[in-house]
Amino acid sequence: MQTDTAAPPDERVRVWDAPTRLFHWSLVALVFVSWLSADQGYMTVHLWSGLSLLALLLFRFGWGLMGSTTSRFSDFLHAPHKTLAYLRTMAGGGRVLHAGHNPAGGLMVVALLAVLLAQVATGLFANDSLRFSGPLALFVSDDASDGLTRIHGIAFDIILVLVWLHVVAVGFHHFVKGDNLVGPMVSGKKQRAHVPEGATIIFAHPALALGLLAACAALAAWILF
Amino acid sequence: MSSEPSAPGRLSAPAYFGCVALVTALGAALAMVLRPAFGHRVLEFAGVEAMPQASFESFYTRRVAPLFAESCMACHGEDRQKGELRLDSYAFAMRGGRHGAVILPGDPKASELMTRISLPAGDEKAMPPEGKTPLSPDQVTVIRLWIAAGASPTAAVIQGAPRLVAEVKFPELDADAVRRMRAPLAGEVARLSALYPGIIVYESRNSAGLELNAMLRGQAFSDADLKAFLPLSGGIVRIDLSGTSITDASAPVLARMTALKSLRLADTKTGDAAVSALAALKSLKSLTVTGTAATKPALAPLAKRGVEIHGDANAD
Repeated sequence: MQTDTAAPPDERVRVWDAPTRLFHWSLVALVFVSWLSADQGYMTVHLWSGLSLLALLLFRFGWGLMGSTTSRFSDFLHAPHKTLAYLRTMAGGGRVLHAGHNPAGGLMVVALLAVLLAQVATGLFANDSLRFSGPLALFVSDDASDGLTRIHGIAFDIILVLVWLHVVAVGFHHFVKGDNLVGPMVSGKKQRAHVPEGATIIFAHPALALGLLAACAALAAWILF
Repeated sequence: MSSEPSAPGRLSAPAYFGCVALVTALGAALAMVLRPAFGHRVLEFAGVEAMPQASFESFYTRRVAPLFAESCMACHGEDRQKGELRLDSYAFAMRGGRHGAVILPGDPKASELMTRISLPAGDEKAMPPEGKTPLSPDQVTVIRLWIAAGASPTAAVIQGAPRLVAEVKFPELDADAVRRMRAPLAGEVARLSALYPGIIVYESRNSAGLELNAMLRGQAFSDADLKAFLPLSGGIVRIDLSGTSITDASAPVLARMTALKSLRLADTKTGDAAVSALAALKSLKSLTVTGTAATKPALAPLAKRGVEIHGDANAD
């Protein structure tokens, strides 16, 4: 499936596939549930939300390699000098159009994915010193489990900082640059005026996403059982 | 990717980032209120958090802190802070945890810490948690009375507090180690125990030190009998020869008891010669000379060295 962005200026063109959008908002929901459940001591809920996050993150890494054009790492990961050039242009009042993630946004995506994966991985070995341990905590020493528990706590603070930076950046695009990034992440479509001329996006088949998600969910479930 | 002039937004960049700074500050302030532990960390980092210290002689230091150390600090100490609560100092204990203060001075009923340590052991919220040794009723009372009296960092006495009971712990007996320690003299000990039943015993179950007690033999125990114990001279730490028939002739034998710590010569025919022979015994700490002919001048070097002298010596 392919979208040709050379269309009338007022037309909205599709830039995000459904799997990527579902991933994004599911991630938001699961991070919130994980936070709330840990804070309130609902550790069974925390376990399930953590494993769901693991499945989701594994899916996103896979989708970043085999998914639609705008979901691929190759589309939004840029060399540092290009990212700096982008930031300089934005700071100078200019505007750079991207169909998917801009270079700074791409960097944020990778940073968030990496820290979230570290958070989920350490959670598998963590303990709360009382009645709850991660499903793999028995495979490491108590000291190692305690150390990973501390990292689990620190990583959460880093996630909060990254999420806030992400929200601030999205707000910057919306309020300063007049570029709404939230809407397209809901509907999947952007105004043609915000998409580079002639950009071509190839969309992967949804069945591929379903198959990949099923495999990642099975892997996460295997860890638990 | 393509570049073009920016489309006008509703805010300028400085105005937007000003708003972001304001919202960030408000959010941080809100987090400090809703999460007191976070608030305390921020204030401590900024150097404006008071860190009251408990005095050395306070009831807290002597009675409460040891209970926290024994029962709570594994999870609420420097290494772990469950619920963001630390109990390893007075300041941390009063600061509280994630949800605020756990100790409310003067109000033990409203203090979360008291609630938790008073719950029955099976309760999910009981502290210490299931599997750990719960606080005894006396220990709970100590903490309750301290909080009720204002949770002071300086008050030395809290009326009605249960008396502190000293806990006596015996070291684990390492039978193999003891056997190895006793091995060099074990044969002689066995032989002499057969010849002199009840005279020679080990000073304790985990020591190789020997005690020679001839008091019950009375006058039947002579210089020759004492000399028979010479093979054990390096292992004997206490000797009681009270009322025996030994004389100054045993002085050379006593001089070779190099491990001797305590010697009782009461009511024997010993005198200055025996006392003088003890000058070389660096381990000697106690000497009883009641009813002997030992004189003060002879005893003086020992007394000067710190040996406790028991009994009246002759004035000469």
